[in-house]
Amino acid sequence: MAALVETKPRAIDIGALVEPDRVHRSLYTDPAIFDLEMQRIWGRAWIFIGHESQVAEPGQYYSTMIGRQSVLLTRDADRRVHVLFNRCAHKGAQLVGDRCGKAKELRCAYHGWRFDLDGGLLGIPLEQGYDGTRFDRTSPEANLAPVPRVASYRGFVFASLSADGPDLQNWLGGVASSIDNMVDRAPEHELEIAGGVMRYEHDCNWKFFIENLNDMMHPMVVHQSSSLTARLIAKKELDPAAPTPAAIEIISPFTESYAFFDEMGLHCFDNGHSYSGGKTSIHAKYSDIPEYNALMEKAYGKERFAEIMSVNRHNTVFYPSATIKGAIQTMRVVKPVAVDRTVIESWTFRLKGAPEELLRRSILYCNLINSSANLVGPDDQESYRRQQVGLETQGLDWIAMHRDFGRDEDLGGGHTYAKGSSDLSFRNQWRAWKRYMIEGAR
Amino acid sequence: MSAELALHHRVSQFLFREARLLDERRFEEWNALYLDDGEYWAPATPGQTDPFNHVSLIYENQLLRKVRIARFSSPVAYSLQPFPRTAHLVSNVMIDRHDPATGDIKVNSRFLMIEYRRDEQRFYGGAYEHDLVEKDGALRIRRKKADLVNCEGPLQSSRVYF
Repeated sequence: MAALVETKPRAIDIGALVEPDRVHRSLYTDPAIFDLEMQRIWGRAWIFIGHESQVAEPGQYYSTMIGRQSVLLTRDADRRVHVLFNRCAHKGAQLVGDRCGKAKELRCAYHGWRFDLDGGLLGIPLEQGYDGTRFDRTSPEANLAPVPRVASYRGFVFASLSADGPDLQNWLGGVASSIDNMVDRAPEHELEIAGGVMRYEHDCNWKFFIENLNDMMHPMVVHQSSSLTARLIAKKELDPAAPTPAAIEIISPFTESYAFFDEMGLHCFDNGHSYSGGKTSIHAKYSDIPEYNALMEKAYGKERFAEIMSVNRHNTVFYPSATIKGAIQTMRVVKPVAVDRTVIESWTFRLKGAPEELLRRSILYCNLINSSANLVGPDDQESYRRQQVGLETQGLDWIAMHRDFGRDEDLGGGHTYAKGSSDLSFRNQWRAWKRYMIEGAR
Repeated sequence: MSAELALHHRVSQFLFREARLLDERRFEEWNALYLDDGEYWAPATPGQTDPFNHVSLIYENQLLRKVRIARFSSPVAYSLQPFPRTAHLVSNVMIDRHDPATGDIKVNSRFLMIEYRRDEQRFYGGAYEHDLVEKDGALRIRRKKADLVNCEGPLQSSRVYF
């Protein structure tokens, strides 16, 4: 019987939709593009999985996603870290149903197959039933399948669904130094995930979020209502002689001047990565914590400590899946769900060996800025949502990224620099996007 | 029994009034129900024991509530255009503790907040815990905690108090 409705794959000419200084609106709205992104970007790039401290003990596991695929971060009895597909080797049921936990073995909820934390098959009920059949329990296919590539950079675990590609450190390139700086801020040179997670559902395409991170032309508009109001209320209510509350220190700089954001600057790298800030950022004026300074000086010496603190970056983007703020020890992880649906997770880090006050400040920062119920995030989200709706309209098919085009400074080795207000970080992300999408088709 | 009933009635009426002030957008009057050091807290994980060592959806003192409430009338608060309409329902009110000497009253209740904004209706629900104090014949809030049943799940933007 002939199909009632004939469907044939629609050919999309990716190359024609991305130009160096403008992109086509359909790249944010077309479900077919989203499907291709899941294969060619999320299926190939290094995707952030978790931090090693989330599975600090043998037997701990943490469940997450790479694009649409459910995966597990585990630590085995020999303390080795694994990233495994969260799928029973038997009939394909998702093996672990909760988000995290600790277990001696992982037992499938369906037919009771049991697996080690390294993915190895431990046992099958009535295993003799397989005797003399084509099933081979010594074959790798009897075990949980490992994600093709897994690597860790100073505790940050990334994985790639593709067996080929650059190694993690080369892929990170110039943004590895942002992880270095965050880790170096710990007197014991180590970070630990602490303070829980917030999951914020965005009714928009994932790229709006990741593009906004180093969009230095939005804060003074989008956050005017929260940041300026905070400044006004603080002025009205607080004793000018008293120390400024940390919450006010955190919210106020979002309405710094255009000149300030220009001065922060933008640094972009191959593979879509970038950071804003460098010598200064909106996190540069937080009050000193003297006890922390003393511990850091003791751990590093005065000179090295000053060097570490002289780096003050705002958002560092590990395109496409994660972003950190090293100066306030927070991280957000991007989980695309559909063309117009994305979950953003917000995490905080403890600087090992530092006073708890630092973790508390990171937590306060996330409450104030990253929470779905606060004064800053919902205004960003509103902008993305309006883009998602606005870009469905016909008539203007292209989105401009012209600001300061052609005026980037080439610092060599794939590193480009521009003043903060430049559209450089968008152009840089789309350059990587296009390369992934075209190379991934081969 | 009658004193207990009277207290229960007074506390319930206070909770209903607090919910009504939110729904009628009388936010400054709502904030005046709090002690100067009163706190509003919406935890981000079930059983969260404090707002300092774990992230929260909202943890606000008097100053931050004043910022949020002042922002409500900002002409450039785009996520408040249109402003959400809400109905807060408070039920299952139980007084867990009452200390007549200090005036401290701990109240546990259940709530449902229906929110409508721009073609979408959403539901938030969970438990309230009110730490009230009776001073000069009036009840004030030392702390209000709103434990959403889905506090750790993916949540969409919300702008007003649960």
